[in-house]
Amino acid sequence: MSALHLAWRTVRRYRAQTLLAIAGVAVIGALLFDMLLLSRGLLLSFADLLERAGYDVRIVGGGGMTLRMPIPDSAAIAGTLRGLPEIEKVALVRILPARIAARSGASAPSVALIGVSGAASGVWTIVSGVDLDRAPGEPCPVIVGRSLAAALGVAPGDEVRINAEPAGVRSAMPPIACRIAGIGRFAFGGAGDDTVATTLEALHRASGEDRPGDADLILAASRSDAGSGAAVAAIQRARPGLAVYSNDEVIEQFNRNGFAYFRQISLVLSSLTMVFAFLLVATLLTVSVNQRLGEIAALRAIGIGRRRVAAMLLWESALLVGVGGLLALPLGELLALELDRILRQMPGLPEQLHFFVFEPRALAVHAAVLVVTAVAAAAYPMWVASRLPIAATLRREVVG
Amino acid sequence: MAPMRPTSCAPAAVVVLCATVLAAHAQAPKDDGDAPAILVSRQLAARAHLAAGDLVTLGSDPQGSRRATFRVAGIYEPTPDPMRFTATRLEARMHLPDLVDLVADPADPASREAVTSINVRLTDPADAAAFVPQLSARTPGIAARPTSRARDDDPFAVLDRFHVAISAVTMAGGTAFLLALMVIRAEERRETVGILRLLGISRRTLLLTVAIEGVAIAALGAVFGILLAFATEGLVNRIFQARYDTALVFVRVTPSIAARSVLIAAPLGIVAGIAASWTLLGRDVLSIVRR
Repeated sequence: MSALHLAWRTVRRYRAQTLLAIAGVAVIGALLFDMLLLSRGLLLSFADLLERAGYDVRIVGGGGMTLRMPIPDSAAIAGTLRGLPEIEKVALVRILPARIAARSGASAPSVALIGVSGAASGVWTIVSGVDLDRAPGEPCPVIVGRSLAAALGVAPGDEVRINAEPAGVRSAMPPIACRIAGIGRFAFGGAGDDTVATTLEALHRASGEDRPGDADLILAASRSDAGSGAAVAAIQRARPGLAVYSNDEVIEQFNRNGFAYFRQISLVLSSLTMVFAFLLVATLLTVSVNQRLGEIAALRAIGIGRRRVAAMLLWESALLVGVGGLLALPLGELLALELDRILRQMPGLPEQLHFFVFEPRALAVHAAVLVVTAVAAAAYPMWVASRLPIAATLRREVVG
Repeated sequence: MAPMRPTSCAPAAVVVLCATVLAAHAQAPKDDGDAPAILVSRQLAARAHLAAGDLVTLGSDPQGSRRATFRVAGIYEPTPDPMRFTATRLEARMHLPDLVDLVADPADPASREAVTSINVRLTDPADAAAFVPQLSARTPGIAARPTSRARDDDPFAVLDRFHVAISAVTMAGGTAFLLALMVIRAEERRETVGILRLLGISRRTLLLTVAIEGVAIAALGAVFGILLAFATEGLVNRIFQARYDTALVFVRVTPSIAARSVLIAAPLGIVAGIAASWTLLGRDVLSIVRR
């Protein structure tokens, strides 16, 4: 009889404790799996949002990525970028606080008005209606965020009146009439954010400024044969002193600053759950071996060698951890949905950002951690069983 | 309704400048008693090797085209801010007129009149909800909001719910662990239980014994956990404080948390003990002793 067969018979014989141990490992394993998803989830989700915009290079003002400051001479910079062979397309983005009012009288006193040169596909997803570039002839087409559209009770085709105010300027300019081209979901917009997008020209008219203001962000897409690294280098050569970042650099910067808490809490909790799973299986196996000392001594007495007994205990551990670990995956997915729902209630968080994101790496680490746990947990019971004095144990069992 | 009277409605006397928009250069101390005073954060002082009495040049743009000399009057520890604990606090505090002189656009007289925000302290903080719409109605275009957050709008309330959910899952795993352990223990003492039953000791007494044992194991485990948490509290705080260069306290084991742990663990112990022994004690006494 093989060690696996012996282990299988043992776990079947002690059904209640086996099922409870598997349940414990499954719950703890689910938590471990979730912490692995959390450790890089925000980063993957953030990278996905950046990639989805279709631009892989960002140029920002003096405030870096965290403080939004206008980029001096942004129109000329955009012209220079368009002439670079490494660059495929360029978009200028300017954001101003604004007031918006519907014809019904419903209004929002503080919305973020985003002006974009050309339709920056990917910055928002059209939920209904059409995109800005599919509203030809309309002097002020706008895309309104879902929550704002619901609050104002507006739909594509409706007219709204917008008044933008550059920071630090009190404006008495009359609002301009705009028509809703579509309702959108903004990649970096929060669930409750009031966001409106329009063309740069329309934003300029809404602000009432005498000349177009500088953009807060310049987006550039590199040509596929050049790549973002070459595009960044080319931009820095053409316009030294600009704050230029590839998406990878932006992600790395956020990885260092913004997401550190969740990465560290996931590290702490996954370490704790691993220790917990080890203690659980090691304790159960040790107590179980102590309970079966006579049985193990009898197996040894009828010729089953030390190695096979040790292998049997290793298989027992592998069965408990393996089955529990497998059950942990669907359980972990369900738990991740709930934990993600809780964390996404944070105010100001982009609606499409997720904390728990699956990647094959998490599955591989989960499996590796469980294998290590199974082996480590079986080590002490294996040592106890292999050093068992056969005659003395049998005698003690009979006399006892 | 009578208008509410703010007790103070002036722009803050000192402002915080973000280091990302400033260049700080230490100069050799010289006799410049007229230089306005500033405070620099401990982190900025360490980064720029500044000490009280040093003269520094601050510029409002990277080129340093608009700059002024200040004297470091002191070094301060920034108030720990849980919302910004990952940010390096490279900050300086100065009097508002000095900041206006530094950043105002000489070509735009109105730029000397603008401030980023005005902090208002109400005579009665409970009036905040009514004060905000009153102010907004009188001065259109102003965005006024209370500084205290509603529970639903508080990121720490969300983190709190997340931690509670994690604790619940850990507790579920721990309960399965305890239950499995108690089942083994009950099975181990099968013959002892049979003999005790034969001697006339009632099921109820034996169940009570098992329940007490469950409570004892769970309570001891909880107490051990609390002691471990107390012992590691300082270590965790020191690691995170060093990692983020902040005075923020990350972990604090309060008496209420300790009491909650014991109060949750004890009933779980009773349930685990009784559940594990139920199948054994429910059987006929002869089948327990395998007869």
